[in-house]
Amino acid sequence: MSDPPKLAEWLLRRLVGGRDADAVAGDLRETFEARGGGRLWYWGQALSCAAVRFSLYRRSLPGIGTDFSRAVRRIRRNPGYALTAMLCLALALGVHTTLFSFLDSLYFRRLPVPEADRIVQIDRKYGDFCNWRGFLGFRDGLRSVQAAAKERSGDYMEVDHTTFFVNLERVSANYPQVLRLGTTIGAWFRADANSMGDPEAVISYRLWQTRFGGDPGVLGKHVRLTSYFRVAGVAPREFTGSSSPMRIDVWVPLSASTPHDVDLIARLAPGATLMNAAAELGVVGERVRAAYPGVPLFQGAVQVQPASGFLWQGGREIFMPIVKLLSTVAGAVLLIACVNVANLLLSRAAVRRREIAIRQSLGASRPRLFRETLAEGLVLAAGGLLLGVLFGYGTGRALEWALPGVPFVLYQGLRFGIDWRVALFLALAGIVCAILFSLPPAFASSRKNLNSGMKGHDVRNSRQREIYSVVQVALSLTLLITTGLLVRALQHVQSVDPGFAIDHRLYVNLSAPDRGSDKQANTLLFSNLVQQARELPGVEDATLAWGVFPMVGVTCAGASRQTAKKALTNTVDPNYFDLMGIPIVRGHGLSPAESSGGIPDVIVNQTMARTLWPGEDVIGKTVWLEGCDGDVPKAGTVIGVARDAKYGALSEEPQAFYYVSRRQDSGGNGFFSLIVRTAGDPRQWTKPVLDLVQRRGGDLRIYDNGTLENAVALSLWEVKWQASLLGALGLLAIVLAAIGVYGVVACSVAQRTREIGVRMALGAVPLDVQWMVLAHGLRITAIGVTAGLFLSAFTVRLLRGFLYGLSPFDPIAFAAASLAWIAIAMLASWYPARRATRVDPMTALNYE
Amino acid sequence: MSAIYLGEFEQLVLLAVLRLGEKAYGVPIRAEIENRAGRKVTVGALYATLDRLESKGLVHSWFADATAQRGGRSKRYFKLLPAGVEALSSSRAVFDRMWEGLNV
Repeated sequence: MSDPPKLAEWLLRRLVGGRDADAVAGDLRETFEARGGGRLWYWGQALSCAAVRFSLYRRSLPGIGTDFSRAVRRIRRNPGYALTAMLCLALALGVHTTLFSFLDSLYFRRLPVPEADRIVQIDRKYGDFCNWRGFLGFRDGLRSVQAAAKERSGDYMEVDHTTFFVNLERVSANYPQVLRLGTTIGAWFRADANSMGDPEAVISYRLWQTRFGGDPGVLGKHVRLTSYFRVAGVAPREFTGSSSPMRIDVWVPLSASTPHDVDLIARLAPGATLMNAAAELGVVGERVRAAYPGVPLFQGAVQVQPASGFLWQGGREIFMPIVKLLSTVAGAVLLIACVNVANLLLSRAAVRRREIAIRQSLGASRPRLFRETLAEGLVLAAGGLLLGVLFGYGTGRALEWALPGVPFVLYQGLRFGIDWRVALFLALAGIVCAILFSLPPAFASSRKNLNSGMKGHDVRNSRQREIYSVVQVALSLTLLITTGLLVRALQHVQSVDPGFAIDHRLYVNLSAPDRGSDKQANTLLFSNLVQQARELPGVEDATLAWGVFPMVGVTCAGASRQTAKKALTNTVDPNYFDLMGIPIVRGHGLSPAESSGGIPDVIVNQTMARTLWPGEDVIGKTVWLEGCDGDVPKAGTVIGVARDAKYGALSEEPQAFYYVSRRQDSGGNGFFSLIVRTAGDPRQWTKPVLDLVQRRGGDLRIYDNGTLENAVALSLWEVKWQASLLGALGLLAIVLAAIGVYGVVACSVAQRTREIGVRMALGAVPLDVQWMVLAHGLRITAIGVTAGLFLSAFTVRLLRGFLYGLSPFDPIAFAAASLAWIAIAMLASWYPARRATRVDPMTALNYE
Repeated sequence: MSAIYLGEFEQLVLLAVLRLGEKAYGVPIRAEIENRAGRKVTVGALYATLDRLESKGLVHSWFADATAQRGGRSKRYFKLLPAGVEALSSSRAVFDRMWEGLNV
C-alpha cells in the first residue's frame, strides 16, 4: 500500500505545528490506511486544516486587546522613544497629507454644486469642443445632457483707477441653471440680458471681499474689463468656477458679436449615463470637426469625463512632472522615517532582550511575541498619523494662505483640503508604514534566542540596525544630491546674462481700446506719451516696445517665401536698442523717421542671421516674415544685426528673433509697453509714470507695471519654488537620517558600556575610545554614501526636465552633498562618542 | 438558562466524545459522526471545533504515547468535562421544552 502524500504531510506539519500536527497526521494516516488510499482525499483533509487555520475566527485570536493595551503601556513607560518615533512618522506623513490633498484636488475633487457627480466636462484633447455659434445650433437638440458653454481667459479689471489681473469665464446664460448655482447677493445674468446698456457680470465671493470690501453696494456698479460690465451678482462663497485650478474671479456672458471657442460643462439628463453622453457628444463633435476641416483646434478627439479634479486641461499637464518628482521624494522621506522607527523598535527589542528571553523560556509563543511588536508598531503609526494629519493640515492652511501672493495665477487657486479620500489614503499609508517598520523588529524579537538573550550583546540585531542606517544614509544622500542639483540649476540660470540691461528700468504695459480703422489715433497717443515720459524729471529716456521680457511674439521668418521657420519678434521704437543696452553688432539700427508703406526695415539677431543665411553677409538681404501655416509672407529688408539676448526665459536656448519698427508696422498698435530708464531707483518713478499715463494717456488701460529687474527675477520664481520645495523635503530627510545614525551609534555605545569600561580600565585613553565610536559612525556613513552615489547616478536622470540645461551629473552638486553628509554624520556620532569617554570604568563594570 | 450556547455541530462532537468514552480520539470521533449523523466531516473542521470546545472548558484533551501503529504518531484523546456534560444537557433541555406538546 502506498504512503500518504509526503508534501501534504509536510504542509500539515508546518501549518498546524507541534504535537497537534502529530495527532492530526496520525488520524489521517490511520483513516488513509483504513480506506485503502486516496491521495486526493488526503490532500483535501490537509487543506481543510489550512482553511481553518487561516479562517477569520482564527485570525481574530483572543488576546488581541491585550496586545494593544500592553503596547500602549510599554509606550507610556518610555514616552521619549515613542515620541521620537511618532514625530519621525508625523513629519513624513504630514508631507503625505499635503501631497495627497493636492492629488485629491488634481484628480478627484468635485465642483461644490448640487449632485456634482452628474456633472460632466466635454472638451477635446489639445483643443476646444466647438465655437459659440455651433453650440447655439446644437444645444437644444442634446438629449443626454443639459449643456452650458464656457471659455476661460484672463483679463485686467479696472475698478476706481486701480487695475488688476482677473481670471475670467465667459459662459452661456444657462450656466447657472446647469450647475444649479445660486448667488451670495444679486442674481446671475439672464438669457435676454443683451438688450440694453452694459452686459452683466457676476463676480466671485473672493473678489467681492478683497476688492469691494464685501459691500452690497457693488451690485449695479460698472467695472471695466476689455469693455464695461455691470455687476449683477456675487457667486456663492465656495464656488470658484469650472476651470480649476484656476480660481475664477468674474463670469460674463458669451457675447454674440465676437467669435469664441468654447468647451462644455454639462449635467447628465435624468436617466442618462456617462456612456450615453459620450456617444451623443462624440457624434456632435465629429460633425463640428467635419464642418471645420481647416481649424486645428477642432480636430482633437472628443473627451467626455466626469467633472472631477482639475477641469482646465493644462493644469494636469503642467503639474504632472513636479507631482511625479514630489511623490518620489515624499515616498523616499517616508521610507527613511519608517527605517528610523524600525531602528528604534530594534533597539527597544535589544534592550528588552532579556525580558523576551525570559518570556520565551516560560512558554510565550513566537506568534504571540510577533503580534505584540506589530501591535506596538500600529499604535506608533496611529499616533504618528494623527500628528501627521495635524501637521499636514497646518501646512495646507499655510500654503493656501501664502499661494494667492504667488506671481502665477496657476498656483493661486490650489486647495489643500482634507476629505475622506485623503483620510483613506493616509490610513492606508499608515498601515503600510506600520507593517514595513514593525516586521523586521517583530521577526527579530520573536526569534528563539534563549541562550544569547540572557547574555550580552546581540550581534545580529546591531548588524541589522547598521544596514538600515546605511539605507537611510543612501536615500537621504540621493535627496540631498537632488536638492543640490536644483540649487545649482538655480545658480546656473541666475548667472545667465539676459543680454539686455535690467537695472534702472521701469515698464508699464498699456493697451488702447479698439478704434476700428482709426489706427493713427492710437499711434499718436503712444508717441505723445513716450515723449512726455522723457520729459519727466529724473527720467533719462523712454521707449515703446510691444513686449517686455518675458513676453514674446511667436511667428515665422524665412530666407525665401517657402522656407518659413519659427521665429520670435518684437515691435519697437528706434531708440529701444540704445535704452535696453542691446548693441547692434553689424549694419545700423532702425531709422527714427516715420514711414508707412514700402518694404519695412528689419533687425535680426545673431542666431537668426546664422541660421537663415549661414556664412553670408545678411545686410540688405530680403527676409520673409509671418509666413506660418501657409499664410502669405511679407517681405522685409535686413538693415542690422542685434546681439543675441534672452527673450522668453533665462533658461531658453538661443532663439531666432527679429525686430521691426513701430513707426513702420502698426501690428502691435493697440498694445505697448512703455519702458523708461531712470536716474535712481526705478521704483520711485512708478507713481509719476502711472500718473502721467492716467493724465495724458486718454483711455489707455494700464496692465501690470514693474521693474525689469523684477520681471527677470519673477521668471526665476518657478525654479526657486521647486528648489526650495525639494530643499525642504531634502532637509527633512537629512534630519531623519541623522537621527537614525545618531540612534545607531548611541545605542551601540550604550550596549558596549561594559566593553568601553574594560578598555579604559586597561589603559585606553579617551581619544582612542572616541575614535572607536566615531569610526563606527563613519563606517556606516561611508558605505551609505557610496551606495547613495550609485543610487543617485540612476535617479538623477528623472531630474533632467528641472535642471535648465545643467548636467544631472554636475560634479559640484555630487561632491558638496557627499561632504555635507559626512559632516552631518560626524556630528551625529560625535555626541555619543563624547559620552563614551565619560564612562567611569567602575560604573561600567557594574553596568547591567 | 445555560451561559454557554452550543452550536449544532458542537453538540454532535460532544455527543460523539461522550459516546466513545475512553476511545475518543480523532478517527473514531469522525467515524461516529459520519455513521450516526450521516455527515461528512473534514479533519480541519473537527479539530477546530475540538480546540474551541477545549478553550471553553467543555472538553479536556491529552496526548497518548506514540505506538508503532499509524506511522508512529501519537493520538490526542478527548473526554468531556463536567461543564461539557452540563452544556449538553441544558441544550437538550431547551429542545425538549420547545418540542413539548408538539406532534409532527
